[in-house]
Amino acid sequence: MSVAQNLIRSARFRAEREADWRRLEAIVTKAERRGLKALGFDEAQAMATLYRQAMASLSMAREISLDRALLAYLEALCARAYLAVYAPQERLGGMIGRLLVVGIPGAARRLFPLILISYAIMALGGLAGWMLFQNDPTWYDTLMPAGMAGGRGLESSREELLAVIYSGQEAQSGQLAAFASVLFSHNARIAILIFSLGVLACVPGTVLTFLNGLTIGAFVALHADRGLLYDIVAWLSIHGVTELSAVVIACAGGLHLGQAVLFPGEVRRRDALRRNARDAVKLALLAALMLVVAAALEGFGRQLIQDPGARLRTGLAIGALWVVWLGLSGRGRAGRGLT
Amino acid sequence: MSRDGAPGRARPGRARPGGAERRLLVEILPPEGVPIRFEVAGLGARTVAQIADILVTFAVLVVLMAVLFLSDLVSLEAVIAIGALLFFAIRVPYYVLTETLMNGQTWGKRLTGLRVIAADGRSLTAHAVTVRNLLKEMEIFIPGTLLLATTSLDRLTVILLLGWIGILLAVPLTNAHRQRLGDILAGTYVVMLPTPVLLPDLAEQPVADAAYRFLPHHLDHYGRYELQTLEALLQVDAGALSRIAAERHRANLRKVAETISRRIGYETHVPEADTEGFLLAFYRTQRAYLENRKLFGDAREDKFHRDTDGSGGARG
Repeated sequence: MSVAQNLIRSARFRAEREADWRRLEAIVTKAERRGLKALGFDEAQAMATLYRQAMASLSMAREISLDRALLAYLEALCARAYLAVYAPQERLGGMIGRLLVVGIPGAARRLFPLILISYAIMALGGLAGWMLFQNDPTWYDTLMPAGMAGGRGLESSREELLAVIYSGQEAQSGQLAAFASVLFSHNARIAILIFSLGVLACVPGTVLTFLNGLTIGAFVALHADRGLLYDIVAWLSIHGVTELSAVVIACAGGLHLGQAVLFPGEVRRRDALRRNARDAVKLALLAALMLVVAAALEGFGRQLIQDPGARLRTGLAIGALWVVWLGLSGRGRAGRGLT
Repeated sequence: MSRDGAPGRARPGRARPGGAERRLLVEILPPEGVPIRFEVAGLGARTVAQIADILVTFAVLVVLMAVLFLSDLVSLEAVIAIGALLFFAIRVPYYVLTETLMNGQTWGKRLTGLRVIAADGRSLTAHAVTVRNLLKEMEIFIPGTLLLATTSLDRLTVILLLGWIGILLAVPLTNAHRQRLGDILAGTYVVMLPTPVLLPDLAEQPVADAAYRFLPHHLDHYGRYELQTLEALLQVDAGALSRIAAERHRANLRKVAETISRRIGYETHVPEADTEGFLLAFYRTQRAYLENRKLFGDAREDKFHRDTDGSGGARG
């Protein structure tokens, strides 16, 4: 390379390296447009080397050069090359597989105490709802959101309630799907609210979970009052084991976030939140997954299976599957670095 | 400037006075140890990207629903119900997958030239992307959908809702990096993607060296800031300007040349036709001089001879 001798130092510096920067720019542009996979072996190798050279040039140019055009170019080039070199190299399949095998079950095991607490909160709500109803049945109207009851109120007779519980065969599949999806989005929204409100020092999430329990308590009490306790438990259990667990798990995730706000320990609250978010988010994903399964069970399983005993058994069996998955999956690898 | 933060911690900073406009910058420290600066994305660009993304998801949804409806498999009510379900279920996966697989960009962000980067200088993890997009649900979509339904809500709920939205809007507006809550939790920034443009090196252009000679006492008057301002003026491509703008540019050059001559006490007359040649020669000599002084530890920030940050001029 013939570099004129009369150039000043920084111009010489630029003249010597400009070709390399141009080459890096071309490779980075290609990687951005068509992905890292589009690069050939030589290009990929060159990109790593040229990137380090460009970073060294940037560092040096900041020291010696007053050429604004050069500095601006190098800043931009290095920024783009950095983003291309450190692009996330995740494969979709590997990401999901790792999440399912190690990530989610591990988080559920680590946060098991919180999950138990959340169950207790909901059970307490249920108990309170039940007792309120025993005291004065008109509580039912207060506790039950209008859209959720599906026409089952205090005036409903035993036969009407029974008809809803075993209504599957006559109903059209379209209506069922619609009903299930409405319920699903309702519950999903509740779960998201409970989860994200946990950030606010645990309080709103806990209250919402408790309220959810109240509703269920009153609902079950109404049916028990008409002598349908066994039937309604079976009706609820086929999807409820999964669905209520999803709400509970969302609550546990929220509590974990709230924990960071309440008890950050020796780090700043912001850092504590970031730390706790790792497991809490996995619980949120788990809750989402469970809600989808619950919606499917509710839309189809409950209509196909009409016998209360079979409903109960199905619900419990699916619950047992969740426990086995969350309890056992990825145990051997728990110590390794997770996502 | 000594590197005081722990490695991987980005510092907030305004653009230095050298830049013409005051921009919000974040500094990332990659494993190579050379800090890189990014311009923080403005809320306007982010809103546009968000709207574009909503349109994309909505379009996907409409196509899916149309296919379902035309395939005649399910009734109309079911299609609407499934649509409502999908609109809910399609959002978070869309953002998470695009941002993970397209290196921090959704389609909307690609359109507006934005990018999500990790604050710690490492690559963006799937975890960070999931966190910031799950929280987006709470920050944007739930209040947004509730807001659309305000007519059916009672007054207390509306007030609570507005308070909620107010707080969530205040978070990105008040913090130094324009991070929303999800960004804070995930440890990410949204930045503008810089465009590398290499302008020609003015010091390399052929100049009639002999015509103008500058002595050391001519060169002691200016610092980095003035030099780079002069560079910006000389980098203007006069050929691309309109006639009036070119006229004004020429007048500016003349004025600058006269000011410089006066200030540095340069006696030789500069002919009107050779203003640019004079400025180029001065720029070149001044730059060589300042760079030389800088190497000897005498960095001059501007004509008031301020040191850069009080130390030897090492920036970053």
